[in-house]
Amino acid sequence: MTRARLLVVGSIVLSLALVGIYLAAGGASYAPEKSQNPCKPRPWTNPDSLQEIAQQISLSALDGAACQLGVTRETLARALTTEEARDRFAKRYGIDDAKLAEAIQAGLVRAVDDAENAGALSPLIAGPLRGFVEDVPLDQAIELVKGGSSLVGTFRNFLGPAGDLLEQLLP
Amino acid sequence: MNAAAPRPRVAALALAVGLVLADSSVVVLALPEIYRELDTSVAGVTWVLISFNLVMALAAVPAALVARRVGPGRAASVGLAIFAGAGLACGVSDHLSTLIVARCVQALGGALAVTAALELLPATVGSERRATLVWASAGATGAALGPAVGGLLTELVSWQSIFLIQIPISLAAAVPILAVARHEQATGIIEPELRRTGKPHLWANLALAMVSAAIAAALFLLVLLLIEGWRLSPIEAAIVVSVMPLAALVGSRLGNYVESARARAAAGAIFVSGGLGGLALLPSAEVAVTVPPQILVGLGLSLVLSALTETALGGRAPQAIHGGWTISARHAGVVLGLLALTPIFTHEIAEQRKDAINAGTAVILDSPVEPLLKIKLTQKVTDRLDEEKGKVPTIGPAFEPLPDDPRERAETIQLREELQDQLNRGATHAFSSSFALAALLGLLALIPIALSRRIEL
Repeated sequence: MTRARLLVVGSIVLSLALVGIYLAAGGASYAPEKSQNPCKPRPWTNPDSLQEIAQQISLSALDGAACQLGVTRETLARALTTEEARDRFAKRYGIDDAKLAEAIQAGLVRAVDDAENAGALSPLIAGPLRGFVEDVPLDQAIELVKGGSSLVGTFRNFLGPAGDLLEQLLP
Repeated sequence: MNAAAPRPRVAALALAVGLVLADSSVVVLALPEIYRELDTSVAGVTWVLISFNLVMALAAVPAALVARRVGPGRAASVGLAIFAGAGLACGVSDHLSTLIVARCVQALGGALAVTAALELLPATVGSERRATLVWASAGATGAALGPAVGGLLTELVSWQSIFLIQIPISLAAAVPILAVARHEQATGIIEPELRRTGKPHLWANLALAMVSAAIAAALFLLVLLLIEGWRLSPIEAAIVVSVMPLAALVGSRLGNYVESARARAAAGAIFVSGGLGGLALLPSAEVAVTVPPQILVGLGLSLVLSALTETALGGRAPQAIHGGWTISARHAGVVLGLLALTPIFTHEIAEQRKDAINAGTAVILDSPVEPLLKIKLTQKVTDRLDEEKGKVPTIGPAFEPLPDDPRERAETIQLREELQDQLNRGATHAFSSSFALAALLGLLALIPIALSRRIEL
C-alpha cells in the first residue's frame, strides 16, 4: 500500500473508531432527561412515614394541576415558588388566579385519589380530605402543594378533636 | 538582489502571514469576555469574528492586485501598518460597533500584507513551490495557534491585549520587509516557475471554503462549549484547545511523507470530519473526552489546508492573485460556517437550557429532601437562572449554605450533583447538531477534493 493510501485509510479507520467508541459510550443519548407527561400517573412507592406520603401527595397534586393547565410539572413548580414567579407564569400562559386555583384544587383531588388507589390513605380519610381540598382557597392550596405535610396538618386542624384519629388511620 | 538577509526576511514574512491568519481565530476565546464586557448578544459578538473574515474574503483578491501594482514590499509594509493601527483601535474599543469597524480595517490591512507576502516569498526562498509551502504552513500554524494564544492573553491580561500585542509583532515583521520596499525595483518582478493559467483553481478553492467552514465551527463551537457550557476559564479553555495546534504540528510532519496533495487533502478532510463527529457525540461533560476529537481535527486541518493551498497555487501565476483566491475562499468558508451555524446553536442552546432546567427541577422534586426545602431550592435555582440569563448557569451557590444535619447534607450534595449533571448534559447536547453539520460539511469537501485530481503537484 502506498503512503498516500495508507494515510487516507488511516484517517477513515481512526475517524470511524472515534465515532464508534463515542456512540458506544452513550454519546448519542447524553442529553437532559425529558419531562414526563403530567397527565400520566406516576407509580407510588410504598410509603414508610407520614412525610413520604405527604411528599407523594404533593408531587401528585402538582402533576394533576399541571395536567389540567397543559404545562409540565416542573414549570408549575417553579411558578409556585414566589408571587413574582406566579405572575410571570400567569402572564406567559394567560392563566388567571381562578383558573390556577381550579387546577390546583383538581390536582389535590387527584393526589388524594392516587393516594387512596395506592393504599396510602384509607377511604375513611380520603373522602373528607377530598371534600376539604375541593374548596380550599388559592393561597392555601398553593401552600398545600408546596408542602404536602401541611396538607395533613391543615386537615387535622380542620377535623378538630377528631384529628387525633388521623395518625391511627394512616398506614 | 536581496534587500535583507533571506532568513530574517522569510521569518518576517511567515510571521506576518501567521499573525494575520491567526487573527481570524484569535478572538474566539475572548468572545465570551467581550460578550459580557460589551453587554451584547451571542449573535452580536460573533460579528467580531465574522466581520474580519468577511472583509478578508472580499478584499483578498483586490489586495493582491494592489500589491502587484504598487510593489509587494510596499504593500506588505503598508498592510502591516494598517493592521497594527486597526489593532490599536480594536484594543481601545469600548463598544461593539467600533470594535467591528476596527476589525474590518484590520482585515483590509491583513489582506494586503498576506497576499503581498506571497508575492515576496518566491524571491526570498528561491522557488514558488517552497514559497507556497512556507506561506501555507505559516497560515495553518497561525490559524491553529490563534485560539490558544488569544485565550491565554484574555485570562492573563485582558481581551484588549490580544489586539494590542499585535502592534509590536506587526512592526517587528514590517522592519525586514521595509528594506524590500526600499529596493522594490529589484524584488518586485518575480519570474513564474510554471505555466500561467490565469483562472483560479475552482475545486481546490471550493474545498478550502468548505473545510474552513468546518474548522471554524470546530474552534468556535468548542470554545463556546468549554467556556459558556462547561464554565472553564479562558486560560483553562486555552490549555484544552492547545491540543489542536499540537496535533497540527504532528500533521504537518506527517504530510511531509506523502507526496500526493489530493491524498493529504482527503485524509485531512476525513480527520476533520471524524473529529467533529466525535465532538457531536461527546459521552460526558469532561475535558478529557474532547482530546481525541481535537487530535483528529488538528491533524486534519494542517494536512488539508496546506494540501489544498498548494493545489490551488500549484502551476499558477501570479502567485499573489491565486493566494488571494485561497485567502478569499478560506475566509468566505469561515463566514458561511459561522452564519449558518450561529442560528442553529443559539436556538439549540435556548432549547437545551429549557430542557436542562426542567430536568433539574424534576431532580429536585423527585429528591428525598423535605418539601419546603425543595421549594426553597427550586426558588434559589430559578433565581440563579434568571441572574445568568441566556447562559448555562453554575448552580453551586444555590445550594449554599449546606445543611448541618449529615443526612440532609449528603442528600443536598447528591441533589446538587444530579442537577449539575442535567445542566451539563443540556450544555453539551446544545452543540451536537452544529458539530454534526460541520462534520457533514467537512465530508462534502471530499467531492471537490476528488474533482481536483487532475492537477497534482
